[in-house]
Amino acid sequence: MFDLLPHLLNGLVLGLLLALIALGFMLIIGLMEQINLAHGSLFALGAYFALMLVGPKPPLPADLAAQWLQIPLGWRYGMALIIAPCLAGIVGIAVELCMRRTYGKDPLYGLLLTFGVALVLEEIIRLTWGTRDHVLPVPAGMSGAFLFSDLIWSRYRFYAAGMAAVAIGLVWLLIEKTPYGAMIKAGAHDSEMVRALGVNLSKLRLGVFVLGTMLAAFAGIVVAPIWGIRPHMGVDAVVPAFLIIVLGGIGSFWGAVIASLLVGLAVGISGAYASEWSLLSMYLLLVAVVSIRARGLFGKKSMLEV
Amino acid sequence: MTGSSSEARLITPTMLGAWLVLATVPLWINAIGLYPYIGVEIVIWSIYALAFNLVLGTSGLPSFGHGAFFGVGAYAFGLTQFNIAANLWVCLAGAILAGAFAGLIVGLLIAHRRGIYFALMTIAFGQIFWTISVKWHSVTGGEDGLLNILRLPATFGVVSFDISDNETLYYFVLAVFAVVVMLLWRLVNSPYGRILSAIRQSETRTAHLGYNVWLYKLSVIVISAGLSGFAGGLFAMAQRSAFPDVMNLAQSGLIVMMTLVGGGLVSFWGPVIGVIIFLIARDVIGAMTNAWALYFGAMFVLLVLFRPEGIAGGAKLLMERWKARREASRVLSSAPRSG
Amino acid sequence: MKKNGKAGHGPSRRSVLKGSLMTASLAGVGAFYGPWEHNRAFAQGKKPIKLGLTNDASGQFGNSGQDEHRAIRMAIDEWNAKGGVLGRKIEWVTADTESSPAAGTRVAERFITREDCPILIGALHSGVANAITQVANKYGTIFFNTNSSAPSEAGENCSRIKFVWDGNGTNFSKAAVANAVKSIGKNWLLLTNDYVWGHSTAAATKALIEANGGKIIDNLLVPQNTRDFTSYLLKIQQIKPQVVGTAIAGDDNKALREQITQLKLDQAGGPAWINNQQDWPDVWGAPESLFGVFGTTFYHKIDLPGIPEFVKKWQDANKGGPIPVPGNVSYNGYVATHELFRAMERAGSTNNIALIKALEGHKMSAKDRMQHFDAYIDPVTHQVQQTIYLARKNTKPSDNTDHFEILSWAEPKDVMDDAAPTKCKLVPHDKVPSVDA
Repeated sequence: MFDLLPHLLNGLVLGLLLALIALGFMLIIGLMEQINLAHGSLFALGAYFALMLVGPKPPLPADLAAQWLQIPLGWRYGMALIIAPCLAGIVGIAVELCMRRTYGKDPLYGLLLTFGVALVLEEIIRLTWGTRDHVLPVPAGMSGAFLFSDLIWSRYRFYAAGMAAVAIGLVWLLIEKTPYGAMIKAGAHDSEMVRALGVNLSKLRLGVFVLGTMLAAFAGIVVAPIWGIRPHMGVDAVVPAFLIIVLGGIGSFWGAVIASLLVGLAVGISGAYASEWSLLSMYLLLVAVVSIRARGLFGKKSMLEV
Repeated sequence: MTGSSSEARLITPTMLGAWLVLATVPLWINAIGLYPYIGVEIVIWSIYALAFNLVLGTSGLPSFGHGAFFGVGAYAFGLTQFNIAANLWVCLAGAILAGAFAGLIVGLLIAHRRGIYFALMTIAFGQIFWTISVKWHSVTGGEDGLLNILRLPATFGVVSFDISDNETLYYFVLAVFAVVVMLLWRLVNSPYGRILSAIRQSETRTAHLGYNVWLYKLSVIVISAGLSGFAGGLFAMAQRSAFPDVMNLAQSGLIVMMTLVGGGLVSFWGPVIGVIIFLIARDVIGAMTNAWALYFGAMFVLLVLFRPEGIAGGAKLLMERWKARREASRVLSSAPRSG
Repeated sequence: MKKNGKAGHGPSRRSVLKGSLMTASLAGVGAFYGPWEHNRAFAQGKKPIKLGLTNDASGQFGNSGQDEHRAIRMAIDEWNAKGGVLGRKIEWVTADTESSPAAGTRVAERFITREDCPILIGALHSGVANAITQVANKYGTIFFNTNSSAPSEAGENCSRIKFVWDGNGTNFSKAAVANAVKSIGKNWLLLTNDYVWGHSTAAATKALIEANGGKIIDNLLVPQNTRDFTSYLLKIQQIKPQVVGTAIAGDDNKALREQITQLKLDQAGGPAWINNQQDWPDVWGAPESLFGVFGTTFYHKIDLPGIPEFVKKWQDANKGGPIPVPGNVSYNGYVATHELFRAMERAGSTNNIALIKALEGHKMSAKDRMQHFDAYIDPVTHQVQQTIYLARKNTKPSDNTDHFEILSWAEPKDVMDDAAPTKCKLVPHDKVPSVDA
């Protein structure tokens, strides 16, 4: 009747996007053993910051704004991809400074704190940018569609998947190929040892939290042209992120990536063959996997289990 | 755990005090600018929060999918009323059984999990129940909700009380609340409850002592889910309808937050305090501004920064300091007791 | 109900709207400090009428909820400027119903028992509308469902105290389908949100397609909260229907729109799209992504007397607001509130039974409603039977708000939901508890 291939391809693209969303969440949970409920709000904030830079009304004095708008959309978009996550990173610093007080305590306190932060951020978004929907403009070269095997495909989805893949690759390099990565990994397993090695743990945590925030914001920008921008857009992102982390196993980079691809494939394929089950499919996948493998696909023992 | 004679009692002075204060609520609730329905909601959510805290505070199992049990109870109350018997006790029993049964299914699959994996699995199950409630229109009415649920009269043999207005419903849920509090207090302070506490402190050690940890965890999930379902049944009656929204992740998160805000981790009454503060604050701030979430969220942030042990925890700390000071001044010469 | 006479007069109880920074300057409108208080003379000693505005400010329908809120407030201000209703000033309170039924119940209880509101106005989500109706039923309080377009609202979930002001999915299907089968093609695919509204809309569409000689080649059910429609779009391309009828709501529909336009699937070569009603507050944020043919009850560029004046008034009342022109959501809220006050004047009373009788069967002239045909409040279902417009994306906009091209308009009798009267059972008037203000 019809080919499976397009649906596999679509599932992989979706999987990469989900991996990008889950990545920052994974880093924070891995090093700090904290569930960051504000992840979705930071994701949304990234999209809104980008909108500020790329959209038709930059928050600048009139003449400066006019000059800014002279710059081609492609350049502004490119700058937004860098600047917006940095702006979100500043917010991340503030959140981490508050969160410090909860380290070493029951992880539930971190949860309560980030829940509060999420509420505050979402309301600030609503007050600043209004409740209505926005569209993030994308350079003409990246938008539109192309024909492949008699089907029309969205060009932007592949760019988005490409950006996700690049971000995933960079995080992998950071974790596996730099001394920082070694510290992060060591910190996740033994904060005492890291301290003994003379690493400033609180700086390391701040750094990782900000990196996680920036990744969330970057994911927000990449996904915004597909899902749209609205104040509660973060909610749609948090649940899959949660799920992917458990499925892949806490603290496992490849676990998160592979779990994302699996979820993407499950949603994509069920969308094609049993459409009404496609959202439930990821939960069923999780229950099936975790019933067999207690700590997800590649999970190690976590402090959060005790 | 501090040893105290009140643990052995069926009814403690705190309980009596709380019931007396709560019993007078309809007399002054309008005067302080609130209204009876919020009282009904507070008592029902208090039952729910106490049931939830059996899992979170007592046993140390972080569940983020408890809304599922509450919602299942709400639907069960309505469905029992429509399909089995329009009798209050039958419907409430239906709510408890349905909640407990849902708890059993979930518990069988997650009772051997701990910590974060337990938490995230409960999210997954919560979402599954929520999805079913939205999808299964013929039974639940889907998004439109299960409507026209009646506030059935409370019959005791030949006597029957009409509880269809908010004041009488309030007294009914309060009476039920009193019973639930007594039962839970006994449960928490029974040998069973102490084993649950031991599991919270160290699952491995409790297992080494020869207890079947899995069975204890499963049973506490079932009890908590049954009571949550019971609260859900009461809520369906208060709301005269049942909707999927109480089962979604945000609502399941709320009960965790309420319990933490009150100090459920350190105090039996913490969840109740949390519910009172939470619901009143949301209602009052919500009546003043549509940007209620801003102030509400800021409240949590400040709470964690300055009173992480929650409101009950803060009060407890003050009490202990005061006791310690009194003791210190009374027996100046003797060595001060730690703790 | 016990009510405290002093309730509502403490400064902390003021109803203050701070939906956005832009409207923050309007804050402080309440019982004593209303802007009209000092310059308008109301009949001495007469109690004000306080309306409860149950508008979403957060969640999925926060944007539309605030849009209808602005229009309802505008209608209230107009009547107050004229000296109120029955010589009484109109006041209002509002609270966020959060797009959630549980919040709807709580807010409705608060407004009725605490704020003494005799009337509640405002709803987008059918679950919230039903939750409010359950409370309002108990007290006999009249509830205006301004914008929830689930067919069940005027069918199985109708109520003597509820009045439904929006056109519903069935009305829109009836306006669109027969035409599309004849002019575009017989092979249809339905893309349906997997919940009651989607199902009932799809069922109505299916019946109409088949009655007109078309056939359904597939019906794809889409779970709620779907953000990624690519797999459905790929499947649609593989199946190759001539027409796709969608019944996708809320944020899901916004995501679908963005993805269809990115693919340019709505242009030559792709199937024709018959979309459900498009709410203006949703369109305003993303006009680039309008697709297919869709229904509406109002458009600010329709060439009818009264509309330019209405648009001007609305703009003056909402300077610097998030949306520059009124759309269907605002329109429904405005017209409903107007008709409420008119009904009060006709009845000479604010008694609920008198008002219900004044509303039931009431005819509203086309001119008055700024539509092409006369409308009336159906006494059997309590739904307003009104003109339904079909529109599509405007390829030659006259200005930056001109997003719709109105294609046609259908008379109320041609788009009526014939099944609704058999499903709707209203209780007799004397079974409704009496309410007055």
